[in-house]
Amino acid sequence: MTNAPRASQESFHPLFWWLWALTLLVILLLSSSTLTSISISIGAIALVLMKRSNTYWYKSFRWSLRLAALAFTLRMAIGVVIGVPMPGQVLFTIPSIKLPDLFVGIRLGGDVTSQRLSAAFDEATLLVALILIFAAASALSNPHELLRVLPKKYYGMGLATVIASSVAPQSARSIERVRAARRLRGESSSGMASFRKVGIPVLEESLERSIDLAASLESRGYGYFPNPSRYRRQIWRLQETLALAAPIYALIFLLLLPSISGTLLAGLVLAAVIIPGFVS
Amino acid sequence: MITFSSVSLIYPNAQRTIVEDISFTVNEGELLLLIGHTGAGKSSLLKLINGLIPHHTGGILTGEISVAGRSTRALKPGELADVVGIVGQNPINGFVSDIVEDEIAFGLESLGIAPEIMRKRVEEVLDLLALAPLRRRNISELSGGEQQRVAIAAALVTNPKVLLLDEPTSALDPIAAEEVLSILHRLVHDLGLTVILAEHRLERVIGFVDRIILIHGDGSVDLGPARQILSSSPIAPPLVELAKKLELGEIPLSIREFRKIAPEISEAPANLIEKLKGDAILTINSVSASYDQDQRSNALKDVSIGINGGEIVALMGRNGAGKTTLLKCAVAQAPLTKGEVRVNQRDPKSFTDKELIRFVGYIPQDAGDLLYGQSIKQECDLADLDNGVEPGTTLSIYKELMKIPSLNSHPRDISEGQRLGLALSIILSAQPALVILDEPTRGLDYEAKKVLIKILKQIASNLNRSVLISTHDVELVAEVADRVIFLADGEVIADGSSREVLKASPAFAPQVSKALPNNSWLSLSDVERYLSERN
Repeated sequence: MTNAPRASQESFHPLFWWLWALTLLVILLLSSSTLTSISISIGAIALVLMKRSNTYWYKSFRWSLRLAALAFTLRMAIGVVIGVPMPGQVLFTIPSIKLPDLFVGIRLGGDVTSQRLSAAFDEATLLVALILIFAAASALSNPHELLRVLPKKYYGMGLATVIASSVAPQSARSIERVRAARRLRGESSSGMASFRKVGIPVLEESLERSIDLAASLESRGYGYFPNPSRYRRQIWRLQETLALAAPIYALIFLLLLPSISGTLLAGLVLAAVIIPGFVS
Repeated sequence: MITFSSVSLIYPNAQRTIVEDISFTVNEGELLLLIGHTGAGKSSLLKLINGLIPHHTGGILTGEISVAGRSTRALKPGELADVVGIVGQNPINGFVSDIVEDEIAFGLESLGIAPEIMRKRVEEVLDLLALAPLRRRNISELSGGEQQRVAIAAALVTNPKVLLLDEPTSALDPIAAEEVLSILHRLVHDLGLTVILAEHRLERVIGFVDRIILIHGDGSVDLGPARQILSSSPIAPPLVELAKKLELGEIPLSIREFRKIAPEISEAPANLIEKLKGDAILTINSVSASYDQDQRSNALKDVSIGINGGEIVALMGRNGAGKTTLLKCAVAQAPLTKGEVRVNQRDPKSFTDKELIRFVGYIPQDAGDLLYGQSIKQECDLADLDNGVEPGTTLSIYKELMKIPSLNSHPRDISEGQRLGLALSIILSAQPALVILDEPTRGLDYEAKKVLIKILKQIASNLNRSVLISTHDVELVAEVADRVIFLADGEVIADGSSREVLKASPAFAPQVSKALPNNSWLSLSDVERYLSERN
């Protein structure tokens, strides 16, 4: 054997999680059913918890959950306050503001009907599912491994992806550090003000780190030589195929049977999402 | 091996040129040291050699630089990867893998080396840098010195002819620094590698180098044998300064050389006045701490120390000995598992953050973490607000501490020393009884260090506060500290006056004490005092 053995027998192929995410994304957008969005969200959270690890990219999931919660709240709030009038049972009324004629058909405040609420809920859950699919993929895949398997043709894309996907998890680490430092200046502020104070140093640091990483890749010849070789073999194993087969089956079902019942599809998708959790 | 012919470099929108019309040649197998003040352009010069400037970082370059016969103007850094290896200032930022072995193999993968040769090269380099036992370890779990060695291994694996290192020892404890430097020395002597390193702590490297490049910061550089450059350079290690102070007429580069020419000095028994100690400010009583949820490994084990008013205490020990954890106890940010901490007779946990800063001022390892203003002026105003003091207090403290740069400059753009000064002023404006600094000398040049020493002494004496400082810099400890606490593997192994503790340890003894072992002196200021009393 000339290649070095795999670092860990438990890790999936670096591309696996991104293909998995892509399939789920297609299902999510094609079905556009709230039940599917909810089952994907629940499945993604369960899966990440099953695949617990001690790496910094895994730890970034906590922050993604917060982002998802924020997106949900914002979308619901906007849905309630702004939009076109909708029929349905009036649940409650909030004070409305008269808009100039230019914005015909749009209103601010006013009657909140059950239909408006459920439309806002549908879109908010879709948003949450989208965020969680990507959060799960980036929490479970090692950004550095990805860099090695991307073909040379996609050098620029690979570089950008790796830098981008390593920035988020590393920033989660810097946030903790900068927050501790903030407390040393005696302020326990929270909300937007603290976001700005923590956010600026963290962003600056991640920019600096990205430049350093790019310089390091560049000075080590990444992407310059025609045929890069592999120190470890990255094999696509039967496990990966099986684990990926589940969401692909769910997708085929959806394509062949457009009239499939929403509950059945949601159940299938939930199973497809968490199956990789049982395969290693 | 490397030729610069009339090279000039200027950054767009910059006021001054980094280098102007410089020409020199570096021969094969030389170990060259690059010195200069912070911001003089040491990193820029290194990046010129492998083409990161102008291809990656930008900058306007004139003249011609050739490395092993290849022009850096025509070739990008990637195309020079097989002749030049570079290790940046923060190797952790440049790592592209998580496992030691994979990180080292990365350069070979990029060059498309066949797997069987790759495997062999990786093994060779692992042995060369004594990394074989760590090959499967996760890089983020390694100590600073080990990470530095991994970065050097990763740069060496492609068999380059030139190795460039930017401050390779600044984050390391004296023993780890020694390891890295002796490996470099071996590479130069056994493999004929050309090495250029930029370094602030000259005392660590001066014995190893062949020639020195001094960057003045005004565009000019001097290149010459170590002795010649040091005899006139404003930047010199304590040993050289000592020889100049004693008017020995020669420039010694090692302790051995100094001892050959050392004069016999019989000093009058020093009348050591015990400094009056104030009340206990910080007491740490049989504290253990652990970052591990199951508490299998402890960062601190049953540590007890006390800090009194007016004292300057240095906390020393190897990377990972638990220094930062111990400091964090004082601000209730350490994961304690047992024991008690008292700040001014109270548990720091019982303070709110706003109350705590009136007792403890803490500067973390990266002083920049404390800053978030968009300009120095704004930063100082925000600090006045946070600390609830008169507007203008912080700025006036800052002005008192040092010559400050323009009020409108961004805190990220000022020098490391100026940034530390700014963070100190912010902390000091809350009038804390105890000032804590974690590794303040990282990246500081001698000039900035002298200013820091003056400030720390001022804080402790004029204002009767205590200072607790964790550092690897023995020369700084020798200058300022009254007491040294030595940590090893989470336990206190020595706690006593700096004279006793430093003189007892060969690795941690300052240069002055190594050079004149029969005297009780620790630092240059001790020698100065003696000289001025004699005259």
